[in-house]
Amino acid sequence: MPRFVKLILFLITILWLAGIFSEWLTRINGDILYAVPILRYTYSLVCHQIKDRLISRGGFETMVCARCTGIYTGAAFSSAILLFLNFKKRPEIKYLFISAIPLVLDVFLHTLGVYHYSKSIAFMTGLLLGSVGFLYLYEALNRLFIDIKNGIK
Amino acid sequence: MPLAAFAALLLEQKANRSIEKMSRKKAVSLGLLTGLFAALFGTILEIFITLITRQNDIVTTFPELQKMIDTFPLAGEIKQDVISLFQSVRNEIAEHGFSWFYTFSLFVNNFIVDPVFGAIGGLLGLQIINNRNNNSQNNFYE
Repeated sequence: MPRFVKLILFLITILWLAGIFSEWLTRINGDILYAVPILRYTYSLVCHQIKDRLISRGGFETMVCARCTGIYTGAAFSSAILLFLNFKKRPEIKYLFISAIPLVLDVFLHTLGVYHYSKSIAFMTGLLLGSVGFLYLYEALNRLFIDIKNGIK
Repeated sequence: MPLAAFAALLLEQKANRSIEKMSRKKAVSLGLLTGLFAALFGTILEIFITLITRQNDIVTTFPELQKMIDTFPLAGEIKQDVISLFQSVRNEIAEHGFSWFYTFSLFVNNFIVDPVFGAIGGLLGLQIINNRNNNSQNNFYE
Protein backbone atom coordinates (compact mmCIF):
# COMPACT_ATOMS: atom_id res chain seq x y z
CA MET A 1 0.00 0.00 0.00
CA PRO A 2 1.50 3.37 -0.95
CA ARG A 3 2.72 5.50 1.91
CA PHE A 4 0.21 8.29 1.19
CA VAL A 5 -2.72 5.84 1.47
CA LYS A 6 -1.35 4.60 4.81
CA LEU A 7 -1.11 8.23 5.92
CA ILE A 8 -4.71 8.95 4.88
CA LEU A 9 -5.86 5.87 6.80
CA PHE A 10 -3.91 7.03 9.84
CA LEU A 11 -5.36 10.55 9.62
CA ILE A 12 -8.90 9.17 9.35
CA THR A 13 -8.45 7.01 12.47
CA ILE A 14 -6.89 9.92 14.39
CA LEU A 15 -9.71 12.26 13.32
CA TRP A 16 -12.33 9.72 14.40
CA LEU A 17 -10.53 9.30 17.74
CA ALA A 18 -10.24 13.08 18.18
CA GLY A 19 -13.99 13.38 17.67
CA ILE A 20 -14.54 11.07 20.63
CA PHE A 21 -12.66 13.57 22.81
CA SER A 22 -14.22 16.67 21.22
CA GLU A 23 -15.61 17.92 24.55
CA TRP A 24 -12.03 18.21 25.82
CA LEU A 25 -11.00 19.86 22.54
CA THR A 26 -13.38 22.76 23.24
CA ARG A 27 -10.70 23.96 25.68
CA ILE A 28 -8.37 24.47 22.70
CA ASN A 29 -10.96 25.92 20.35
CA GLY A 30 -14.32 27.05 21.72
CA ASP A 31 -15.95 26.89 18.26
CA ILE A 32 -15.84 23.10 18.47
CA LEU A 33 -18.78 23.43 20.89
CA TYR A 34 -21.04 24.02 17.86
CA ALA A 35 -20.16 20.55 16.61
CA VAL A 36 -20.47 18.74 19.97
CA PRO A 37 -24.24 17.99 19.81
CA ILE A 38 -23.93 16.90 16.17
CA LEU A 39 -20.93 14.71 16.95
CA ARG A 40 -22.86 13.20 19.84
CA TYR A 41 -25.50 12.12 17.31
CA THR A 42 -22.83 10.84 14.88
CA TYR A 43 -21.25 8.62 17.50
CA SER A 44 -24.69 7.45 18.66
CA LEU A 45 -24.79 5.51 15.36
CA VAL A 46 -21.87 3.35 16.54
CA CYS A 47 -22.31 3.25 20.33
CA HIS A 48 -25.07 3.01 22.95
CA GLN A 49 -23.56 6.03 24.82
CA ILE A 50 -24.90 4.86 28.20
CA LYS A 51 -23.89 7.69 30.53
CA ASP A 52 -22.22 5.70 33.28
CA ARG A 53 -20.08 3.86 30.73
CA LEU A 54 -18.59 6.97 29.18
CA ILE A 55 -15.11 8.05 30.27
CA SER A 56 -15.45 11.33 32.13
CA ARG A 57 -12.98 13.73 33.65
CA GLY A 58 -13.09 17.40 34.57
CA GLY A 59 -16.76 17.67 33.64
CA PHE A 60 -16.17 16.38 30.12
CA GLU A 61 -17.22 13.03 28.68
CA THR A 62 -16.21 10.90 25.74
CA MET A 63 -18.67 10.55 22.88
CA VAL A 64 -18.60 6.75 23.13
CA CYS A 65 -18.34 4.22 25.95
CA ALA A 66 -15.04 3.08 27.45
CA ARG A 67 -15.04 -0.11 25.37
CA CYS A 68 -15.57 1.69 22.08
CA THR A 69 -12.96 4.28 23.07
CA GLY A 70 -10.54 1.39 23.59
CA ILE A 71 -11.43 -0.12 20.21
CA TYR A 72 -10.85 3.12 18.31
CA THR A 73 -7.70 3.91 20.32
CA GLY A 74 -6.36 0.47 19.41
CA ALA A 75 -7.18 1.06 15.76
CA ALA A 76 -5.42 4.44 15.79
CA PHE A 77 -2.41 2.90 17.54
CA SER A 78 -2.17 0.10 14.93
CA SER A 79 -2.57 2.55 12.05
CA ALA A 80 0.33 4.59 13.47
CA ILE A 81 2.58 1.51 13.65
CA LEU A 82 1.59 0.40 10.16
CA LEU A 83 2.87 3.71 8.76
CA PHE A 84 6.33 2.30 9.28
CA LEU A 85 5.82 -1.45 8.95
CA ASN A 86 4.74 -3.70 6.10
CA PHE A 87 3.01 -7.02 6.37
CA LYS A 88 5.07 -9.85 4.97
CA LYS A 89 2.56 -12.57 5.82
CA ARG A 90 -1.25 -12.56 6.04
CA PRO A 91 -2.29 -12.79 9.71
CA GLU A 92 -4.25 -15.92 10.51
CA ILE A 93 -7.92 -15.30 11.24
CA LYS A 94 -7.70 -17.18 14.55
CA TYR A 95 -5.82 -14.26 16.13
CA LEU A 96 -8.83 -12.01 15.49
CA PHE A 97 -11.05 -14.43 17.38
CA ILE A 98 -8.48 -14.81 20.15
CA SER A 99 -8.26 -11.03 20.58
CA ALA A 100 -12.08 -10.87 20.86
CA ILE A 101 -12.22 -13.43 23.71
CA PRO A 102 -11.39 -11.01 26.58
CA LEU A 103 -14.03 -8.57 25.31
CA VAL A 104 -16.70 -11.23 24.94
CA LEU A 105 -15.82 -12.65 28.36
CA ASP A 106 -15.99 -9.21 29.96
CA VAL A 107 -19.43 -8.52 28.47
CA PHE A 108 -20.63 -12.00 29.46
CA LEU A 109 -19.32 -11.84 33.03
CA HIS A 110 -20.53 -8.36 33.95
CA THR A 111 -23.93 -9.08 32.34
CA LEU A 112 -24.20 -12.14 34.60
CA GLY A 113 -23.29 -9.91 37.54
CA VAL A 114 -19.99 -11.62 38.37
CA TYR A 115 -18.54 -8.13 38.72
CA HIS A 116 -19.63 -4.55 38.14
CA TYR A 117 -18.88 -2.87 34.84
CA SER A 118 -15.32 -1.58 34.91
CA LYS A 119 -14.34 1.18 32.48
CA SER A 120 -10.68 0.16 32.71
CA ILE A 121 -11.37 -3.48 31.81
CA ALA A 122 -13.76 -2.40 29.05
CA PHE A 123 -11.15 -0.01 27.66
CA MET A 124 -8.34 -2.61 27.75
CA THR A 125 -10.42 -5.35 26.12
CA GLY A 126 -11.52 -2.87 23.46
CA LEU A 127 -7.93 -1.73 22.96
CA LEU A 128 -6.82 -5.32 22.29
CA LEU A 129 -9.61 -6.05 19.81
CA GLY A 130 -9.25 -2.66 18.10
CA SER A 131 -5.51 -2.92 17.61
CA VAL A 132 -5.64 -6.52 16.33
CA GLY A 133 -8.84 -6.01 14.31
CA PHE A 134 -7.33 -3.04 12.52
CA LEU A 135 -4.51 -5.28 11.24
CA TYR A 136 -7.08 -7.42 9.41
CA LEU A 137 -8.85 -4.38 8.04
CA TYR A 138 -5.51 -2.99 6.88
CA GLU A 139 -4.61 -6.29 5.24
CA ALA A 140 -7.99 -6.45 3.48
CA LEU A 141 -7.66 -2.84 2.26
CA ASN A 142 -4.12 -3.55 1.09
CA ARG A 143 -5.27 -6.53 -0.99
CA LEU A 144 -8.26 -4.56 -2.30
CA PHE A 145 -5.87 -1.85 -3.38
CA ILE A 146 -3.71 -4.43 -5.20
CA ASP A 147 -6.82 -5.95 -6.84
CA ILE A 148 -7.95 -2.55 -8.11
CA LYS A 149 -4.44 -1.77 -9.33
CA ASN A 150 -4.28 -5.08 -11.22
CA GLY A 151 -7.83 -4.66 -12.54
CA ILE A 152 -9.09 -7.87 -10.94
CA LYS A 153 -12.91 -8.23 -10.65
CA MET B 1 -23.56 -2.03 11.03
CA PRO B 2 -20.44 -4.22 10.55
CA LEU B 3 -22.41 -7.22 11.80
CA ALA B 4 -25.25 -6.40 9.39
CA ALA B 5 -22.76 -6.27 6.52
CA PHE B 6 -21.30 -9.62 7.62
CA ALA B 7 -24.83 -11.07 7.71
CA ALA B 8 -25.40 -9.72 4.18
CA LEU B 9 -22.30 -11.59 2.94
CA LEU B 10 -23.47 -14.80 4.59
CA LEU B 11 -26.97 -14.47 3.12
CA GLU B 12 -25.57 -13.76 -0.34
CA GLN B 13 -23.56 -16.97 -0.18
CA LYS B 14 -26.55 -18.94 1.09
CA ALA B 15 -28.82 -17.50 -1.60
CA ASN B 16 -26.36 -18.51 -4.32
CA ARG B 17 -25.49 -21.82 -2.58
CA SER B 18 -21.88 -20.92 -3.01
CA ILE B 19 -18.85 -22.19 -1.12
CA GLU B 20 -16.45 -20.37 -3.42
CA LYS B 21 -14.21 -17.63 -2.16
CA MET B 22 -15.88 -14.24 -2.39
CA SER B 23 -14.02 -11.40 -4.09
CA ARG B 24 -13.00 -8.35 -2.10
CA LYS B 25 -14.82 -5.99 -4.46
CA LYS B 26 -18.06 -7.92 -4.01
CA ALA B 27 -17.67 -7.89 -0.22
CA VAL B 28 -17.02 -4.14 -0.15
CA SER B 29 -19.94 -3.51 -2.52
CA LEU B 30 -22.31 -5.58 -0.37
CA GLY B 31 -21.07 -3.84 2.77
CA LEU B 32 -21.52 -0.41 1.19
CA LEU B 33 -24.99 -1.31 -0.08
CA THR B 34 -25.99 -2.61 3.35
CA GLY B 35 -24.84 0.69 4.86
CA LEU B 36 -26.57 2.75 2.20
CA PHE B 37 -29.86 0.93 2.65
CA ALA B 38 -29.63 1.26 6.42
CA ALA B 39 -28.89 4.98 6.03
CA LEU B 40 -31.73 5.48 3.56
CA PHE B 41 -34.38 3.69 5.59
CA GLY B 42 -33.09 5.07 8.88
CA THR B 43 -33.18 8.64 7.58
CA ILE B 44 -36.60 8.32 5.95
CA LEU B 45 -38.13 6.71 9.04
CA GLU B 46 -36.58 9.27 11.37
CA ILE B 47 -37.85 12.19 9.26
CA PHE B 48 -41.28 10.62 8.90
CA ILE B 49 -41.65 9.83 12.61
CA THR B 50 -40.47 13.33 13.55
CA LEU B 51 -42.96 14.83 11.09
CA ILE B 52 -45.87 12.88 12.55
CA THR B 53 -45.03 13.02 16.26
CA ARG B 54 -43.18 16.40 16.31
CA GLN B 55 -40.83 14.73 18.77
CA ASN B 56 -37.30 13.41 18.51
CA ASP B 57 -34.04 13.21 20.45
CA ILE B 58 -33.32 16.91 20.05
CA VAL B 59 -36.72 17.91 21.44
CA THR B 60 -36.71 15.46 24.35
CA THR B 61 -33.08 15.91 25.39
CA PHE B 62 -32.89 19.69 24.89
CA PRO B 63 -32.96 20.48 28.66
CA GLU B 64 -30.04 18.07 29.18
CA LEU B 65 -28.21 19.62 26.25
CA GLN B 66 -28.64 23.06 27.84
CA LYS B 67 -27.26 21.80 31.16
CA MET B 68 -24.35 20.11 29.42
CA ILE B 69 -23.40 23.22 27.45
CA ASP B 70 -23.71 25.39 30.56
CA THR B 71 -21.04 23.27 32.29
CA PHE B 72 -18.44 24.02 29.58
CA PRO B 73 -15.74 26.47 30.73
CA LEU B 74 -16.19 28.74 27.72
CA ALA B 75 -17.31 32.29 26.99
CA GLY B 76 -21.02 32.82 27.60
CA GLU B 77 -21.46 34.16 24.05
CA ILE B 78 -20.48 30.88 22.37
CA LYS B 79 -22.60 28.86 24.77
CA GLN B 80 -25.59 31.13 24.17
CA ASP B 81 -25.09 30.88 20.39
CA VAL B 82 -25.04 27.08 20.49
CA ILE B 83 -28.09 26.92 22.73
CA SER B 84 -29.96 29.39 20.48
CA LEU B 85 -29.10 27.34 17.40
CA PHE B 86 -30.43 24.11 18.87
CA GLN B 87 -33.37 25.89 20.46
CA SER B 88 -34.46 27.12 17.02
CA VAL B 89 -34.11 23.56 15.65
CA ARG B 90 -36.16 22.27 18.58
CA ASN B 91 -38.84 24.94 18.05
CA GLU B 92 -39.06 24.19 14.32
CA ILE B 93 -39.53 20.50 15.03
CA ALA B 94 -42.05 21.09 17.83
CA GLU B 95 -44.03 23.47 15.61
CA HIS B 96 -43.73 21.98 12.11
CA GLY B 97 -42.32 18.51 12.70
CA PHE B 98 -39.46 19.39 10.36
CA SER B 99 -36.15 21.26 10.42
CA TRP B 100 -33.77 21.71 7.49
CA PHE B 101 -30.74 21.81 9.79
CA TYR B 102 -31.77 18.59 11.53
CA THR B 103 -32.64 16.83 8.27
CA PHE B 104 -29.36 17.84 6.67
CA SER B 105 -27.24 16.71 9.62
CA LEU B 106 -29.22 13.45 9.84
CA PHE B 107 -28.66 12.84 6.13
CA VAL B 108 -24.93 13.61 6.21
CA ASN B 109 -24.31 11.58 9.37
CA ASN B 110 -26.23 8.50 8.25
CA PHE B 111 -24.93 8.47 4.68
CA ILE B 112 -21.30 8.75 5.77
CA VAL B 113 -21.14 6.59 8.89
CA ASP B 114 -23.37 3.69 7.83
CA PRO B 115 -21.73 2.92 4.44
CA VAL B 116 -18.21 3.29 5.88
CA PHE B 117 -18.91 0.88 8.74
CA GLY B 118 -20.79 -1.37 6.32
CA ALA B 119 -17.73 -1.53 4.06
CA ILE B 120 -15.50 -2.27 7.08
CA GLY B 121 -17.88 -5.07 8.10
CA GLY B 122 -17.78 -6.40 4.54
CA LEU B 123 -13.97 -6.47 4.45
CA LEU B 124 -13.61 -8.10 7.85
CA GLY B 125 -16.48 -10.52 7.22
CA LEU B 126 -14.91 -11.52 3.91
CA GLN B 127 -11.81 -12.80 5.66
CA ILE B 128 -13.89 -14.91 8.03
CA ILE B 129 -16.09 -16.28 5.24
CA ASN B 130 -13.22 -17.06 2.87
CA ASN B 131 -11.30 -18.74 5.67
CA ARG B 132 -14.36 -20.88 6.41
CA ASN B 133 -14.93 -21.66 2.70
CA ASN B 134 -11.27 -22.54 2.29
CA ASN B 135 -11.54 -25.02 5.16
CA SER B 136 -14.80 -26.46 3.70
CA GLN B 137 -13.18 -26.94 0.30
CA ASN B 138 -10.13 -28.59 1.87
CA ASN B 139 -12.40 -30.97 3.80
CA PHE B 140 -14.36 -31.69 0.59
CA TYR B 141 -11.23 -32.70 -1.28
CA GLU B 142 -9.73 -34.81 1.53
